[in-house]
Amino acid sequence: MKRLIIIGGSVAIVLIVILAIVFFVRPYVFHGTVIQSPDPAYDFTLEGTSGPVSLSDFRGKVVVLYFGYTFCPDVCPATMADLARTMEDLGKRAGDVQVIMVSVDPGRDTPETVEKYVQTFDPSFIGLTGTEAQIAETASMYGIYYFKHEGTAATGYLIDHTASMMVINQDGRLKLVLSFGTPPADIAADLKHMIN
Amino acid sequence: MRRRILIAVLVLVVAAPLAFAIFQPIQVLPRIRLAPGFSLIDQDGNRVTSEDMRGSFVLYDFTYSQCPEPCANLDATMRQVQDRVGEIDLGDVPLRLVTISFDPERDTQEVLLEKAQAVGADPAVWQFATVENPSLLKTIIGGGFEDYYAQNEDGSFTFDPKFVLVDGWGTIRGEYQYRSSVPEADRIIRHIGVLSDEVQKSTGAASVAYEAAHLFLCYAK
Repeated sequence: MKRLIIIGGSVAIVLIVILAIVFFVRPYVFHGTVIQSPDPAYDFTLEGTSGPVSLSDFRGKVVVLYFGYTFCPDVCPATMADLARTMEDLGKRAGDVQVIMVSVDPGRDTPETVEKYVQTFDPSFIGLTGTEAQIAETASMYGIYYFKHEGTAATGYLIDHTASMMVINQDGRLKLVLSFGTPPADIAADLKHMIN
Repeated sequence: MRRRILIAVLVLVVAAPLAFAIFQPIQVLPRIRLAPGFSLIDQDGNRVTSEDMRGSFVLYDFTYSQCPEPCANLDATMRQVQDRVGEIDLGDVPLRLVTISFDPERDTQEVLLEKAQAVGADPAVWQFATVENPSLLKTIIGGGFEDYYAQNEDGSFTFDPKFVLVDGWGTIRGEYQYRSSVPEADRIIRHIGVLSDEVQKSTGAASVAYEAAHLFLCYAK
């Protein structure tokens, strides 16, 4: 009987340990789509308020890259507001993250207007623009589609565009694609995991 | 006794991941990189964009209709995949096939329509298209899909015949070099099945197991 208790107890301990291991060392499940490419993300060079800015300038930081435009009526301000809340959630770790918005409206957005727009959400955000060709190439390389169409007299033309956010790790590799509407707490959790 | 339990636990800690990596109880396809953003015009004159492809599995190939013989017969593989779609449990995710021409000057809408009809393409599944903005051709095919092509002096093209499988989130999950001697359609169909399995089963607690499969590179052959 004593022997049975010892064996049963041992099996129970082993099972508990296995469950604990599975729980504590289980792979982190991101809230977005993970990319496993060993190649560096496309290294664009676009125009900021202080001159050319390249993705490679931010090696060592996690970059959240978003394509939008300042006349955008809905999706862009909502995304920028979510990213601003994400930065608040990150607290001290916010300094390890750089949010960049690339304008898909180079006809109306200048480096100054994009910068001013993004910094109304968070002063650390950067806004970039470029020529039509530079923007088209950069957007395509990040899986972004955009298309200009008629709006109203009040809005002028509008631009439909992919609303995903691209997350590039400290080594310059695209690691994560977050969908529009991902809650800021989830974005912050993913970014913290990448920072750590 | 304590020592034995400790050894057993240590063996399990090492053996469990090792067993997962060796026996691969779950197989997945790698998440290679993002497919490019694009806007194409198909054989019926409709605009087809990368956004339209979201939510579908898409198999792409890249060629041109004036390709002189002997030319890589990519259409035969695409046709096989089209005809054998019923073999795969796709769940709620449709499969689409897109043949992109890198010769927009000669592959006009009419030429593409003729080509689609000649190879028996079901327009609901398989579209023939070329890019809407030719200046982005190299970016989309060469840069995004990483398929090499170059035009020769005589107007023909030297190109790398290949197929690219993209999931519903716009991530490239498979790249297949065309080889005339290999029945590539079998592998592609099997891989679409693996992808579909992941989409259907990778929910809740099972998503951790699928993440482990990615972590241990349990990739389908």
